[in-house]
Amino acid sequence: MSITVDELSELMKKAAGVTVSPADLQDRADSGFDVLGVDSLGLLGIVGELENRHGVPMPVDAERCKTPRQFLDLVNSAMPAGA
Amino acid sequence: MSEPRSRRAAVTGIGVVAPNGTSTETFWKSVQEGRNVLDKVTREGCEHLPMKVAGEVRDFDPAAAVEERLIVQTDRFTHFAMAAADLALEDARLGRADTDGSPFDIGVVTAAGSGGGEFGQRELQQLWGKGSRFVGPYQSIAWFYAASTGQISIRRGFKGPCSVVAADEAGGLDALAHAARAVRRGTDVIVAGSTEAPIAPYSVVCQLGYEELSRETDPARAYRPFTEQACGFVPAEGGAMLVVEDTGSARRRGLPVRATLDGHASTFTGASRWAESRAGLAQAIRGALAEAGCAPEEVDVVFADALGVPEADRAEALAITDVLGAHGRRVPVTAPKTGIGRGYCAAPVLDTAAAVLAMEHGLIPPTPGVFDICHDLDLVTGSARAARPRTALVLSRGLMGSNSALVLRHGAAE
Repeated sequence: MSITVDELSELMKKAAGVTVSPADLQDRADSGFDVLGVDSLGLLGIVGELENRHGVPMPVDAERCKTPRQFLDLVNSAMPAGA
Repeated sequence: MSEPRSRRAAVTGIGVVAPNGTSTETFWKSVQEGRNVLDKVTREGCEHLPMKVAGEVRDFDPAAAVEERLIVQTDRFTHFAMAAADLALEDARLGRADTDGSPFDIGVVTAAGSGGGEFGQRELQQLWGKGSRFVGPYQSIAWFYAASTGQISIRRGFKGPCSVVAADEAGGLDALAHAARAVRRGTDVIVAGSTEAPIAPYSVVCQLGYEELSRETDPARAYRPFTEQACGFVPAEGGAMLVVEDTGSARRRGLPVRATLDGHASTFTGASRWAESRAGLAQAIRGALAEAGCAPEEVDVVFADALGVPEADRAEALAITDVLGAHGRRVPVTAPKTGIGRGYCAAPVLDTAAAVLAMEHGLIPPTPGVFDICHDLDLVTGSARAARPRTALVLSRGLMGSNSALVLRHGAAE
């Protein structure tokens, strides 16, 4: 199982109050989180929410990712295979 | 640090988000009509608590006032502050285009008494209910006293001197004085004031410990300072932000100087030591008049602290005559907050806004719901009184012992 653009979009809204539709987020996957309106506390909140939901720790560098693509690549590399 | 005498601090914009109006116009209309909007507490989770009456801001839609991102990341008191700051800046005709070119010329000063209680409660419930991993990171900034100053300055791109005064309820006046000093020292504009949001279950429970809090359940009888029926104060949420600006800057921008902030002083006499507050408040009034170069007889209207606790009311009435002498028994005194509630640090800022508007409109607003005064004061009751006030004195005391006084003059006197 992996974390999708849909889930990231949902969490951006919930944890940081930033609305970017999944389709938009897919198109803008290489935009900076700062440009999208997500600051460092927002990204920290998204990481915390993912850990709570999936019951697995996220990589320590997850909250330092600059773009959605970087972030999804990194956190998905940490998800247990076949979980 | 010396303050050049050539610079004087003016009020050029007013933004109000209060229980009796979420624009300066509706606030003033309600204040001058003496409307009493105190009502039963209806906020979710508060209904069963023994604080039954408050001034709630019901006509405010945060989503219409601030960005979704900031609604999620900040508390209700900061939503009020950002909305009030926008209104004040619009009133002073300061848009992004006017401020972006010189961001260091504008700063922000707020006062806060309770911080972000609603936000804090939500996150603390997560902490107790689920564990620390379920506390959102925005808790770290949302419930701080400084949150509103920070959010206003970031949102509007202001890089001038920014600060927060956490000095009890009278801190509202201290924040305005701090802004005036910053202006005299060289910053052209300071957005200053206070908003509070103390009507959330956690915040209400904190207030239940105040012996000065009114337990009366009838909104019409809950807050009647200066009468024999005085039974404490009624809290409120909301507040006001003012644009405090160098008079020279206002002139260059072609803006009227609506009032000048000319004198301020504060003292401390200890928590709930109301008899002692007489001397402390009197000393604050003396200091404010001295700084303003104002003789006692020149005061045309007094906006009273009006706590609604007999001993405190007596101390305030005596403090006024201690300093103003026989004039203190004749000068019109008013307390519009009996119709709105007492919004902690925000209360004296709303009074200051009302004082500016009273001088502009030539009308001293009444003290809603208060009759049969048992002190030697000319309290304005019933309906507004036509007058031509040129100098106003605003008083404020805090439950923790601070006393402050602020002297304003009408802009035409500048």
